Amino acid sequence: MSNLGFALEGAWKVLLAGLILGAGLPVLFALGIRSLAAGAGGGTAAPRPTGKVVAYALFAIVVLGVLLGLTVIVASGFGKTISFDQVYPAIVDK
Amino acid sequence: MILVLVVVTALGFDFTNGFHDTANAMATSIATRALRPKVAVALSGILNLIGAFLSVEVALTVSNAVVRIQNSDGTPKESLTSDGGTALLLIVLAGLIGGIVWNLFTWLLGLPSSSSHALFGGLVGATIAGLGWAGVNWNGNGSKLDGVVGKVILPALISPLIAGVVAAVGTWLIYKVTVGVAARFTENGFRWGQIGSASLVSLAHGTNDAQKTMGVITLALIAAGDWTDTKNIPFWVKAACAVAIALGTYLGGWRIIRTLGKGLVEIAPPQGMAAESSSAAVILASSHLGFALSTTHVATGSILGSGVGKPGAQVRWRVAGRMVATWLITLPAAAVVGALMWYLGDFVGGVAGAVVIFALLLVAAGGMWLRSRLAPVDHTNVNDEWDEPAAVAERVPTGAVSR
Repeated sequence: MSNLGFALEGAWKVLLAGLILGAGLPVLFALGIRSLAAGAGGGTAAPRPTGKVVAYALFAIVVLGVLLGLTVIVASGFGKTISFDQVYPAIVDK
Repeated sequence: MILVLVVVTALGFDFTNGFHDTANAMATSIATRALRPKVAVALSGILNLIGAFLSVEVALTVSNAVVRIQNSDGTPKESLTSDGGTALLLIVLAGLIGGIVWNLFTWLLGLPSSSSHALFGGLVGATIAGLGWAGVNWNGNGSKLDGVVGKVILPALISPLIAGVVAAVGTWLIYKVTVGVAARFTENGFRWGQIGSASLVSLAHGTNDAQKTMGVITLALIAAGDWTDTKNIPFWVKAACAVAIALGTYLGGWRIIRTLGKGLVEIAPPQGMAAESSSAAVILASSHLGFALSTTHVATGSILGSGVGKPGAQVRWRVAGRMVATWLITLPAAAVVGALMWYLGDFVGGVAGAVVIFALLLVAAGGMWLRSRLAPVDHTNVNDEWDEPAAVAERVPTGAVSR
């Protein structure tokens, strides 16, 4: 296969991962902020306590995503990589 | 003696690498005032330092992607070390000088260009001069993404596009989601989101980029016969590289921060978060998949994307065009400098040749620094309003700017 083929093959994977993690997580974060605002009420809207719960649940998912990113950085520094072969991520040798 | 010059020059390159790339992580946070400028560069510097120490894996074969001066196990080619390593050291020294000169020149112009491309360009030029065209690994051997085309040119074309798409989608969705939410929630929330995502980019930068210099210095040490282990690098090399890149980051390439943070688009906190998240995700995903790319290209693509994705935002495509033009000439320009330095060093010969081209580097660097003092950009004026010079604006047809 030519370089172009390899590049395009890598590119769509990066695009997919980027969309899920790079756009998906910030959107979850934005949803969390929206829930937080809804939970606090303000203006004419009445406070909705569930908003806060939902907000912190969403923030927790985002934090997990960031931790995954940190793990990739640290693991690659030690010559390891993260395997997604099982559903959950696992640290394996490169 | 030549070895000392190579090590000093490599650390110098590492330093320019750091200060050229501060903008990639921190330009958005500085532009949106999520962090004060000095705090932002300090945070980025510390994270680069930590990142550099975290990179335990040896990037000794970094030059193999573009030139053929090493065997696949990382040892230098025997033909280049027969004279005590001088042949290889001269190539590396000339290549590094090419990289530094181009880094400083683009900094002077306030243009973000890829430090890795500058380094690769310098090495390619010095190798063509020293070994001929066959010394360059143009296309790899067809078994994986490799060579100048596969590791440098294609990623440079593709990665800004990917990052831009991701950031545009992210920005657009974030604005959709937070329509009508009180500003006191969005301001504070996105401020922290931005700082977090920018920190991740800084850390990733430290692990990726400091490694390259560590690899180059270790290669020089092996060529000179001062180190034999291809599986490890001396601790002092790692420490010196980590400190050099962190200091460079802390000093901050304010000119480039200004261009990225204020020149391309007016960045609001939600855009900043979307841009940095996109950068972090694309950089990490691609390094995970072994797809080499430049942090600079990704960060620029992300910031552009965040401008495209925000409803009603204005993107200064002319500034973007100037950046893309710089990217296109980075490799050949650094190569020309690298090649000239090699010819000069070879012409003078031996230690004296290396000293001469090192002295030229100092003169060039000093000159560009003095030139930069004529119109200084630092932490005090980095966020000033972006005014295009009128003379430049007149030359552009009206249709081009009104997009």
